[in-house]
Amino acid sequence: MRPGTFVRLAVAGNRTDAARVALTALSALLASLAVLAALSVLAIQTPPGDSGAHSEQYTNALLREPGLRGGTAFAILLLTIPVLALAGQCARLGAPTRDRRLAALRLAGATPGQVTGIAVLETGLASLIGTLIGLASYLVGRALLHRPDTDGRLPLPTDVLPTLPELALVVLALPMVAAAATALMLRRITATPLGVVRRTRRAGPPRPWPALLIALGVLGAALFQPIREASGDRLTRWFFVGVLVVAFAAVLGVILGAAWISRQTGRLLHRHASSPAQLLAAGRLSEDPWAGSRTFAALLAALVFGAGAAAFRAQFQLRDDIERKQNWQSDFGDGRNEFYLRAVDLVDLAVAVAVAIAAAGLLVMLIEGITARRRTYAALVAGGVPRATIGVSILWQVLTPMVPAVLLALGAGYTIGRLLNPDIVLAGDWETVCRATTELCADPATRDRHTELVRTGGMTYSPDVPLDQLALLGAGAVAATLLTVGLGVLFLRQNTAVEELRAG
Amino acid sequence: MTQLQARGLVRSYGPTPALRGITMEVAEGEIVAVTGPSGCGKSTLLHCLAGILRPDAGEVAWRGHRIDTWSEAARSRLRRTEFGVLFQFGQLVAELTAAENVALPLLLAGTGRRAARTAALTWLDRFGVAELADVRPGEMSGGQQQRCATARALVTEPRVLFADEPTGSLDTLTGEQVLTQLVRLAREQRTTVVLITHEPRIAAYADREIVLRDGVIDHTGLGLDAAPVTGGVR
Repeated sequence: MRPGTFVRLAVAGNRTDAARVALTALSALLASLAVLAALSVLAIQTPPGDSGAHSEQYTNALLREPGLRGGTAFAILLLTIPVLALAGQCARLGAPTRDRRLAALRLAGATPGQVTGIAVLETGLASLIGTLIGLASYLVGRALLHRPDTDGRLPLPTDVLPTLPELALVVLALPMVAAAATALMLRRITATPLGVVRRTRRAGPPRPWPALLIALGVLGAALFQPIREASGDRLTRWFFVGVLVVAFAAVLGVILGAAWISRQTGRLLHRHASSPAQLLAAGRLSEDPWAGSRTFAALLAALVFGAGAAAFRAQFQLRDDIERKQNWQSDFGDGRNEFYLRAVDLVDLAVAVAVAIAAAGLLVMLIEGITARRRTYAALVAGGVPRATIGVSILWQVLTPMVPAVLLALGAGYTIGRLLNPDIVLAGDWETVCRATTELCADPATRDRHTELVRTGGMTYSPDVPLDQLALLGAGAVAATLLTVGLGVLFLRQNTAVEELRAG
Repeated sequence: MTQLQARGLVRSYGPTPALRGITMEVAEGEIVAVTGPSGCGKSTLLHCLAGILRPDAGEVAWRGHRIDTWSEAARSRLRRTEFGVLFQFGQLVAELTAAENVALPLLLAGTGRRAARTAALTWLDRFGVAELADVRPGEMSGGQQQRCATARALVTEPRVLFADEPTGSLDTLTGEQVLTQLVRLAREQRTTVVLITHEPRIAAYADREIVLRDGVIDHTGLGLDAAPVTGGVR
């Protein structure tokens, strides 16, 4: 096949295909922006002479301090997780139509390799366009945001640029990764010359074993402090890696556990369904519980990190309050140090962005679900089922597993965050105490044998559970989901049109 | 008594006319087959008569009440309570069992779940598929699915059943079995049936046949708009 034909076939398709291409390009754009932002942070030079010297040209300590830049870049890179989840949802958009098109190409004589190549090329081209637009946006944004303050300091690293090989790597590697992911996803699809597309389904219902992963994460977090205390400073550098492993175990457990939650809530809803909307939702949840896992993956991951960050914030806030109190008592003034709280602000911002991106992924999934089932929905509407009933069933279908899954994510995230931030124990003064009778203590010959040094006036402070923040996170996620469902249901009318029922 | 009445129905899809002035009547308990070649407007006529589509011009009346002027909600309610609708395929909800699918219209009408299931089982039994009550559509054959769909269309004991190529996706033998059961039960219930088909042997089950061609009725000279082409009312 000539390259021109190959490309023409790759970009052919209907409106849904065009939407998939556009959303894939958008995902690549967002991912490239995140990677370029992280590379920009890493491109900041430390002043020569001292490896710990601050880069004073920046207003933000996260950019100024060399020890914090790696973590900042990593936090920005974490944003690519929801973006990749969005890309995964986009790849499913219009998949049945695309599969039929691929089967038709096989019927016309294309080889299985050519058919896979066409799908891979579609994703690769869309991603390449996305990364190129992302690079252009980055360069333009960098110029527009280069606004030094009166002291000549910058809020963002707009004075540095990743190296040319790095820029080239972003533009080329992201489309290649996306294309490879598409090839991987297509491994379960067989387009035969007879136009039949076969899929192998995931076997068996979801089991509750992901709870073990969550338990592992919690256990790991619980062991951190004792290990840290026992090992002194020797394992400090492994602390960050350990936190990540624990967090990812919990995130994975929550995401996979969402499938089990979907199935259980579906069965429960089925047992107690009192309306057709509930019955329809229960049927869908029981039939494909993995959909919940796929749908909410990015959202739940964001919530686990968000709840963990809330625990860190509570700890930082408490520490800040204690220090301010001590400073005030010692006449050192207010002495506020909100550096760590500002760092958590950055994490919160990342979580908010992740929730927004995850909501976009959810919207894509909803529209895809409605489109894939349009004939059934159209038949129901033709039979007199109000569209509102179908809309409400979609709402039940989304919210029923989501609410417990959100609670689980918040609970797991907060618990891990809290365990990593133990109570603050303030030591009091050392005092000599004699633990014997008055006579023995009074006698200099015996007193020393019965005296010991003890701390007095020590205090243990426990951070409050940040219920308001956790509630805000949960409510925000549910509100974003409700908004998404509302937008998705708007597509019901056009997908339940009577034209869907024409016998052909 | 006249159950359905259409006067001067006109309906187009963009610049393409589908119906160009159809006038017809269907009596209570009558089984009418609407036949004609592909693209002649059969399905559009059924959709207009069932209140699924509004005609661009003309009137549709059910038992003397004009329904084409009703709101969509009112027409949906009418379809839910007085009409049954049956299509060629794709109408069963894949995630629900056969009994749940059949019970769905009753649940929508406010019937309790237990009572709706009992009624559904009765209708599944009438179509000889009671043993599939707890089976999902994906595990049934095409004929079994269509029997369930027909049971669902009749479970509310509608006054009118609209069937659009109900056996179009089935083999000849299965199609005839389904249709025989449908016609027998419709006659027992005195249900009016409007049956869309392009197969003469399917149309033979009807009391009367209306032939459409290019959006108009193919007249036979009997003085009625809706007149039999092959031998009048059987």
